[in-house]
Amino acid sequence: MAIPFVGLILGAIFGASLVLTGLTDPDRIIGSLRLKDFHALRTVIVSVLVATLGVWLLSLAGAAHLDIKPAAILTLLLGGAFVGIGIGLTGFSPTTGLACAASGRIDALVTVVGMFFGAHVYILIYPAVVPPLEKVLNFGQVTLPQATGASQIIWIAPVFAAGLVALVLTRRGGSGYSEPFDQAARLGASEGFVPAGGPAITTDGLDAVRVFRLWRNSLFVVMVLALVCLQVIFWLTNTGQVQISRDAVRVAASKPKALGMANADEPIVTEAQPSAPATLPTRGPALPRLLPFDLTFKHVTSVIHPVNAILMFACVLYALTGYIALSVSIRSRLGGLAHISRAFYFSLVALILLLPWQIVLAPIGLGTLYTPRELADSCTAVAGDTFETARFYLRFTGTWALVMLVLILAQWRSFRWTKTVLLKYDDAGRHTS
Amino acid sequence: MKEPGIQTPPVPWWTAGILLGLVQVLAIGLATSLDVSNQFVVVDARTLEHAAPEYAQNHPLISDKERNKFGYASYVGIGLVLGAFLAALHLRMWKVQATSAWWRQNHDGPVLLRLIAGFCGGLCLLLGAGLAYGGITGQFSAGWAQLSLSAVPFTVAVFGSGMLVAYLVYPKTPAKGNRGL
Repeated sequence: MAIPFVGLILGAIFGASLVLTGLTDPDRIIGSLRLKDFHALRTVIVSVLVATLGVWLLSLAGAAHLDIKPAAILTLLLGGAFVGIGIGLTGFSPTTGLACAASGRIDALVTVVGMFFGAHVYILIYPAVVPPLEKVLNFGQVTLPQATGASQIIWIAPVFAAGLVALVLTRRGGSGYSEPFDQAARLGASEGFVPAGGPAITTDGLDAVRVFRLWRNSLFVVMVLALVCLQVIFWLTNTGQVQISRDAVRVAASKPKALGMANADEPIVTEAQPSAPATLPTRGPALPRLLPFDLTFKHVTSVIHPVNAILMFACVLYALTGYIALSVSIRSRLGGLAHISRAFYFSLVALILLLPWQIVLAPIGLGTLYTPRELADSCTAVAGDTFETARFYLRFTGTWALVMLVLILAQWRSFRWTKTVLLKYDDAGRHTS
Repeated sequence: MKEPGIQTPPVPWWTAGILLGLVQVLAIGLATSLDVSNQFVVVDARTLEHAAPEYAQNHPLISDKERNKFGYASYVGIGLVLGAFLAALHLRMWKVQATSAWWRQNHDGPVLLRLIAGFCGGLCLLLGAGLAYGGITGQFSAGWAQLSLSAVPFTVAVFGSGMLVAYLVYPKTPAKGNRGL
């Protein structure tokens, strides 16, 4: 009798909470999906963060009754897409649909009837469709810490960080809230707005803008070249164009292992294997020899270290110039704050993504920069299952592409900032003269 | 029937989030994670079991007695309806409505069209929730709370398709006053 009672009470609290929190209003849900009203989204994010923290504490106390669902990727993607279509169409999820129907909404009641039909369709198609689909990319009932071999707290930290970033990004209610800012901007323009410090501070500020434009453009070019260099080295190594000798790789690398575990301080363990070939095969596609000369891993190592250093320093300087440019823009009242603040933000994100987090946060904390040993270990490891292969390429190419994208966004915003500021004041100069 | 408009929730978003998160923690501490969508399948399966016993006997899903047991999750569903009804009455939020501000802004047609969309949406919701072993509560909210791997692809698919469909069905934003901002 205890379980029905507990279920009934929990359900009643949950239903009442849904009404109290406003999630029974379909307009809130649609507003969130259209990125116009973030009440529902922020509520859900906070609830997930609280629940994640609470469940972790329960697990530590040994009091959590977990119910992990199978990670059958294809059915989850397909099912999730259908659920998304349903929510996008109606503004209800199965749970809020029930609660809305109980709050007097006729459309929710009809949606509940539709849900019963949906359940019926699911039962009818189940024997023919579901079991075969479940076999595709099914990793079983695993949690993220189990799948990666990391502790729970290692996963809670990024989930929290992502949640907090989402809360910061949605702190204004989408475009519906931007009107006062636009009005203020228009007011300033129509009233012949003059910077508080007078023309002198504006002229100095414009000079600074020109200097920062040159620096930021140069640093951007350097970073792009360094990134391209790192990616070329990865593909050359992965496709067997670089000869990796046995002494470059730890013997432990002969088994598939969690990526990012390579520690530069660990000693290299070597075993004498006279019968084995001098160079190791790589896991990538075996291509015919593309280079007219022999490229050894020693050559590659001598390039990776300076490129890493250049990239790191350039990225730090790029973020710093972004910060100083933002300060100049604010102090000199030059405008273009939206562009330069975004440019600074993107520069910081790029810097964070670049840092070699794997040294302190292995195996899940990964940075774009890699050490030669990490590259050799990963490229010569025996290829594991699809998930492991996907992680391998995400680590070396996915993070790289992400950093490249963020840097391009930063540079684009930086370009828009200089263009906005210089065009505005050049025009003003022409008109006054 | 009242004119649709976005209501201001009784509690701010952060209080709302903490409240819902604590309910989920309470559920996982006392019994197991909240999941309502699967109960629609249970009810349908039980109905089919009585209506077509021969078909049900050979069906791999309906014949799974453990899965279709009327238990904790079913009582959660019943409690949810009761709780929502009582809370709506108590907060004076119980009102008969058939459409929403976003729908009215984007579709001039009769209310019937909204109801048809609701029916089709409901069908998609449960078909999807069945395939994905749960809906927003059972898979997304409980999944992330337990750091389940299954929550990752589900979240990507739900938000991706949800945003796309919402963009296609509701391209026009309601007037600011109507949005209750």
